[in-house]
Amino acid sequence: MNKFIVKDLMVPLSEYATVQEGSTLFEAVLALEKAQEEFDYEHTPYHHRAILILNKDKRVIGKLSQLGVLRAILPKNELTQQIEDISRFGFSTSLINSLREKYRLEEGILDDIYKKATRMKVEDYMQTPSEGEYVDEMTSIDTAMYQIVIGTHLSLIVTRGDKIVGLLRMSDVFAAVFHAMKSGELTE
Amino acid sequence: MQVLEKLLDRIIQRVNINLRELGFDVTPYVRELIQRRQMFKFYAFYGITPHHPLNFEFTHSNLAGSYFLGRCRVRNSLLYKSDIRGDELKKKGTVLRFQDFEIPIARDEQIDIEDSFLIKTLVHNYSHDPETPEKFFIKDTISMHYANIHGSPSYGCFLGPFSTVDLTTMRDCVIGTFCYIQAGEISHIKIDPGTIWVRSPGNFNFLYRYEKNQLDHYIDFTEGNRPKGLLFDFVEGHKKDFARIFALVNIETPRSVPGSASLDRYAVIKPHTNISENVLVAQRAFLKNAWLGKGANAQENCYIINSRLEGYNVTAHGGKIIEADLGKKVFVGFNSFLRGSPDARLTIGKESIVMPHTIIDISDPLTIPPAHIIWGLITNKKDLETNSMPISEFSKIETKCSMGNMIFEGSGASFVSAFRNRIDHILEANGAFFNGAENKGHAQKNQSISFNTIQPYPMGELKGLYPSIIIQP
Repeated sequence: MNKFIVKDLMVPLSEYATVQEGSTLFEAVLALEKAQEEFDYEHTPYHHRAILILNKDKRVIGKLSQLGVLRAILPKNELTQQIEDISRFGFSTSLINSLREKYRLEEGILDDIYKKATRMKVEDYMQTPSEGEYVDEMTSIDTAMYQIVIGTHLSLIVTRGDKIVGLLRMSDVFAAVFHAMKSGELTE
Repeated sequence: MQVLEKLLDRIIQRVNINLRELGFDVTPYVRELIQRRQMFKFYAFYGITPHHPLNFEFTHSNLAGSYFLGRCRVRNSLLYKSDIRGDELKKKGTVLRFQDFEIPIARDEQIDIEDSFLIKTLVHNYSHDPETPEKFFIKDTISMHYANIHGSPSYGCFLGPFSTVDLTTMRDCVIGTFCYIQAGEISHIKIDPGTIWVRSPGNFNFLYRYEKNQLDHYIDFTEGNRPKGLLFDFVEGHKKDFARIFALVNIETPRSVPGSASLDRYAVIKPHTNISENVLVAQRAFLKNAWLGKGANAQENCYIINSRLEGYNVTAHGGKIIEADLGKKVFVGFNSFLRGSPDARLTIGKESIVMPHTIIDISDPLTIPPAHIIWGLITNKKDLETNSMPISEFSKIETKCSMGNMIFEGSGASFVSAFRNRIDHILEANGAFFNGAENKGHAQKNQSISFNTIQPYPMGELKGLYPSIIIQP
């Protein structure tokens, strides 16, 4: 395990789901589906869970996770905002959920979802990577693991000099740790 | 004058640094709010009594029209017509009980105001923060007109007009106009105007929020403007009556005041007012054609006009009662505004609890039955249906309840009990239960009080600044 470096476990950028800046949320979801279908699952059982957003120079400018997609499609209006505000005042999840049930719009979240997704632009919902989300491809996995845990990141963007070359996913690091544990068990 | 400008700049900067995370800039709210000439026009004054430890320290500050009682220290601050009332501070040798802790008080508690700008603000009670039991601090804080800082240490905060923070330590917070907050401890939070929040973690959580368009009619405060609205106009409309009281050196106490009652010389008492035994009337209270039964009180900035309070009534700081009849032991919370009219009187039955910051403003007669709890905005009988409940019913709430703009979670019985205990404590502290020998409170102790005045530099480089003064026994 301690011999691994980031580039051993990373998913190359070419295999990852990416869309151009200006794409719609629907296009991003399609890109994710396509990447999942084409991905080689021989070495890892884990699906891709995010889409990278590239600018016209093919540089990564953001990341849209599955959580980000769900967040994007939640209705946003005065009523939902009021309930979000109320949650700041220390009420229980149960009470906040009962308010959501009471006041939720007659139209559900999934009504008209296709139309909504074709209007939304990815850059409005993507997360811009922070400085702590980049890691050099030659970094040891041990050190990268610290970065993932301390920053609570689901993935790190892997760099080679100025260039972004891939993504180190928490799921792949976890799989490597798991294999190391099992190897240890067999050796003993 | 320049020295006051520098002082204001310094305070603004310090508050802004604390509030930068919330993206809140106090500058447009306070920069031109008080004309500088007003700040050296009024004298400051302090009270001396045998009942409260004496220790005042004023350094590099302006104290225009402000009042001090008890142990107070003010540094690098601007206090404009504020009341710093330290008559409930903890005494050396007592014990502060908090959860399972018993914290001995090693020295007399002190109100410590530093780098702050308080406008017509009341500071009262004692620090409820167990981490700072002997220092009730107000630091890097700006509070606007008729705010109440009640038992609430503050660091890096902005309080809007007519807001109250009660028994709550606050750090880096923006408290909106007409908010009432009692939540133990809050930090890094911006609370919208008209939020009434009473929380005791693990016990109960009460939240009511005024509709903005409705609240604006009563009180509205925007950048670059003075506060406006009916509440502000009402209070400012009585300024002249207070100007006369503050201009006179000696004022005779009306003969009709019983020996066990206390009528502050800085209160305004208009004709046809009755003061019964054990009544407490604090400074800056206004009574006109008011009947105060035994043990009733009127705290700072209270207005009781053409009204009758049967007895043992608590009218908390800033409460206003106009054309109303209140039964025995009715509690009216901070900054409440209860307004009937000669043709449409308001009647509130005995032992009712009017929550802090309640507005009842009616054009038809309205009667609230005894033992009810009342909150929010009520303008007619229909509003009363969603903004009140019999206390016995409220006590039955075990999980949650939502009515109109009110949300409650937790134990209703615990909530009612907390209020009732507090009301009893207030009555006791005010001397409402004095029997001629025992149970003395503020009504009896505040009778033997004398006042001294202090003035700022009238001109020169330090114009407007009060000289550094230490006053000790």
